[in-house]
Amino acid sequence: MEKSLKIKLFCLDNIIWFILCGFVLICSMFVPHFSSYKNIINILYHSSVLSMLVLAEGLTLMSGHFDLSIESTLAFAPAIGALIATKWLPGIHPIIPIFITFLVGAGIGLFNGVCVAKVKINPFLQTLSMLIILRGIVLFLIPFSISDLPESFIFLGGSRIVMNIPVAVFVMFIIYFLFRFVFRRTRYGRLFIATGGNKEASFIAGVNTEKVIISAFILSGLLAAMSGVLVTGRQNAVTNAMGTNWVLLAFAGAVLGGVSLSGGKGTIMGILGGALFLGTIDNVLTLAGLNVFLVYATKGFLIFIAIVLDQFKTKFRSSILRKEELKIIKKKFGFEKQTNKIQSEL
Amino acid sequence: MNELKSEFEVNKNNIRENDVILRLENITKVYPGTIALYKVNLSIKRGEIHGIIGKNGAGKSTLVNIISGIISPTEGDIFIKKRKYKTLLTSQAKREGISIITQTPQVIPDYSIVENLFYPNFMESRIGLINWNKINCEAKKLKDTVGFNISLEARMSDLSISQQQIVLIIKTFYLENSQIVILDEVSSSFLKKDQDYLFKIIKKHKSEGKSIIYISHRIDEILEVCDRVTILRNGEKVATRYVSSLNKEILSSLIVGTKKYKKDYLNRVTIYNKKNLKEKILTVKNLTLYGSFKNISFELYKGEIVGIAGLMGSGRTEILKTICGVYQPGSGELKIRNEHVYIKNPSQALNKGIIYLPEDRDKEGLISLLSVRKNLNLSFLARNKKNKLINLKKEGQLTEELIGELDIAITSSEQETNDLSGGNKQKVVLGRILAAKPIIYLLDEPTKGLDISAKRSILKIVQENLSKSGGILITSPEIDDLMLVCDRILVLFNGEIINTFIPKEYNEKDIYLAMQGN
Repeated sequence: MEKSLKIKLFCLDNIIWFILCGFVLICSMFVPHFSSYKNIINILYHSSVLSMLVLAEGLTLMSGHFDLSIESTLAFAPAIGALIATKWLPGIHPIIPIFITFLVGAGIGLFNGVCVAKVKINPFLQTLSMLIILRGIVLFLIPFSISDLPESFIFLGGSRIVMNIPVAVFVMFIIYFLFRFVFRRTRYGRLFIATGGNKEASFIAGVNTEKVIISAFILSGLLAAMSGVLVTGRQNAVTNAMGTNWVLLAFAGAVLGGVSLSGGKGTIMGILGGALFLGTIDNVLTLAGLNVFLVYATKGFLIFIAIVLDQFKTKFRSSILRKEELKIIKKKFGFEKQTNKIQSEL
Repeated sequence: MNELKSEFEVNKNNIRENDVILRLENITKVYPGTIALYKVNLSIKRGEIHGIIGKNGAGKSTLVNIISGIISPTEGDIFIKKRKYKTLLTSQAKREGISIITQTPQVIPDYSIVENLFYPNFMESRIGLINWNKINCEAKKLKDTVGFNISLEARMSDLSISQQQIVLIIKTFYLENSQIVILDEVSSSFLKKDQDYLFKIIKKHKSEGKSIIYISHRIDEILEVCDRVTILRNGEKVATRYVSSLNKEILSSLIVGTKKYKKDYLNRVTIYNKKNLKEKILTVKNLTLYGSFKNISFELYKGEIVGIAGLMGSGRTEILKTICGVYQPGSGELKIRNEHVYIKNPSQALNKGIIYLPEDRDKEGLISLLSVRKNLNLSFLARNKKNKLINLKKEGQLTEELIGELDIAITSSEQETNDLSGGNKQKVVLGRILAAKPIIYLLDEPTKGLDISAKRSILKIVQENLSKSGGILITSPEIDDLMLVCDRILVLFNGEIINTFIPKEYNEKDIYLAMQGN
């Protein structure tokens, strides 16, 4: 493959980062206060919560499924943790409620995964029912928000360390780089993406696909719980409306980041780009003083753009690859023609 | 060959012009890379059952698809009742009274039998309402005349494939009033009872003056029901004969033709004699999967290539899929070396050293979105559970080695596999299973859909690269391919091994007859 082609393909595969950079550049020129250090940190802080949810959705999409229940898990898992810390077992060691929060997230994921992979329930219906069930239980358990949480509960989402950067931002980057490593360098990551690309073929090739799918849902539940902990920390309280309607944004972020809805395609860095882009848009529109409801509508419009972008990308990609193939063929045949000429002249 | 062309060879001039309802003249169909049909002439008379028989890829289906207008010929003319067509549209074919029933029944699964029978002509009233009373009345009358014993209200999806097929056959013969009915291997899933019923129907309509074109790969059926039969081989018409002049022997030698690679087979005998087959690696004993195959027993030695020959539906694929754990056997046992094994899924099979190359390489063989490198290493990674981290350098080396060893033509190992040609795709799948270093290879039609040169190179890989490291079970609908590489050929008929051939006895006609149940 030629170098220019490689560069072209690289640009196309990472298009979300180019869009993001361009967008940031334009905004820093036209939107006042956008490029201040405080605002940039603010964007990252704001994005960190959603980015966990986008990653959760991105992973399940890459495995060839999807998870609607994450936004309810986001509220349910910390709600259980907070209730244990404040009401059910008040004197308990402060690290245990956090631990239980993640356990609950993973448990919900495990349940979803087993139902989808082993019982073969349609993932849409399975996770839709979980979405409603969990939200219902959360509304029942915490009719009013729970504040005065222990310090450990709000450390990840609420506190700031070096240079006034929130811990949540570090959490976001660490988790993303961890997953990036897993998907590039580990056996598990490779089998995961193969299962998403073609479940039947992977099964026959000897991959334990059921295990992979269950693990995808567990990771999704864990990340949703993490997202919940970050929100809780940021607002210093657990409320029953946390995460409402966020699952659609999670889809938008993942698709913007280059994840295919049919599975098997997508990169962790792309997903991060998608999440940051959503956060930036949110920030800019709020800074520009747009009505909140219009901000919401704009996000919907972004989903549409993401899908069109995906279509365009696939078409453009195959067209440049085809051109390249033609070039190679022409080179071959051109050469042959010349030798034929020489032979006939002789 | 020549002595077989007896006085029964049908001469076109002998048929009176008005007897012929359909005539094909010099039909040629060219696909990129292959010639599916070459200058085929065919005439169908009014009130006859005309059989078409030939091996896989002989051009049977292409021919009938041309007659029914589904595909158009590259060259040649079609005459239907003296009207000449250069290209025939499906709607024109329908108007001329030609119907086709294909191997997989074309039904609407959620409709009831009645709805399927009358679809799409629901006998609507002038304002477009469906008169269900009238339809139900008609259906009941029909049911009584044909002696059909399933409730008409039953949903189509609740019926077995053969029952669906019978509903379609009734619809075509009784409701559509077609003049020429093409039955394209409809009976491959039929039980004897269904088949007798089918034969009764078509014989009855033959006597009413309808013409039936009956395609089958079973010699018995053709001899039982047809008046004349046309034999195709490699896209060319071999002969059209009156069935009364044929028997199984003559018909199968017409289908198979003369041997092509005699030299290679002789070569095979010497290879076979040189092979030192001592280490038994797989023992299959009384393996049964209900509805597919029963009491399959054989042994496989290291370095041996065993072929499984059989017609479609004889259970070849199912046997391989059961050994590698895709299906769970009803009874029977598997032994690897001397150890009894029970395999639940392909992942466990791989741990034991068994790997399966699927028949459908696009759907089950490759992950088309992933690069060649990732595909090649998939089974290796799936097998080696200890390698939690991927050593990219080592992986790159292994990939380059495989690409070189199997001679895969690609621009880069990062290329996605969906742009590759069929032969290269198959090489990638072969490379993937080779990299996993199994001891038992189950190859399900590895040469499917490949051109001659690709076929040869795949078979060469099987013979030279794979057989070094283990034993091989290979299936193919093409007897030639099996005879080229196999040390033994097991012949399956209706799910049972009925014969075994060793290289000395290799003869395409005998194996073909065995596949037919003789």
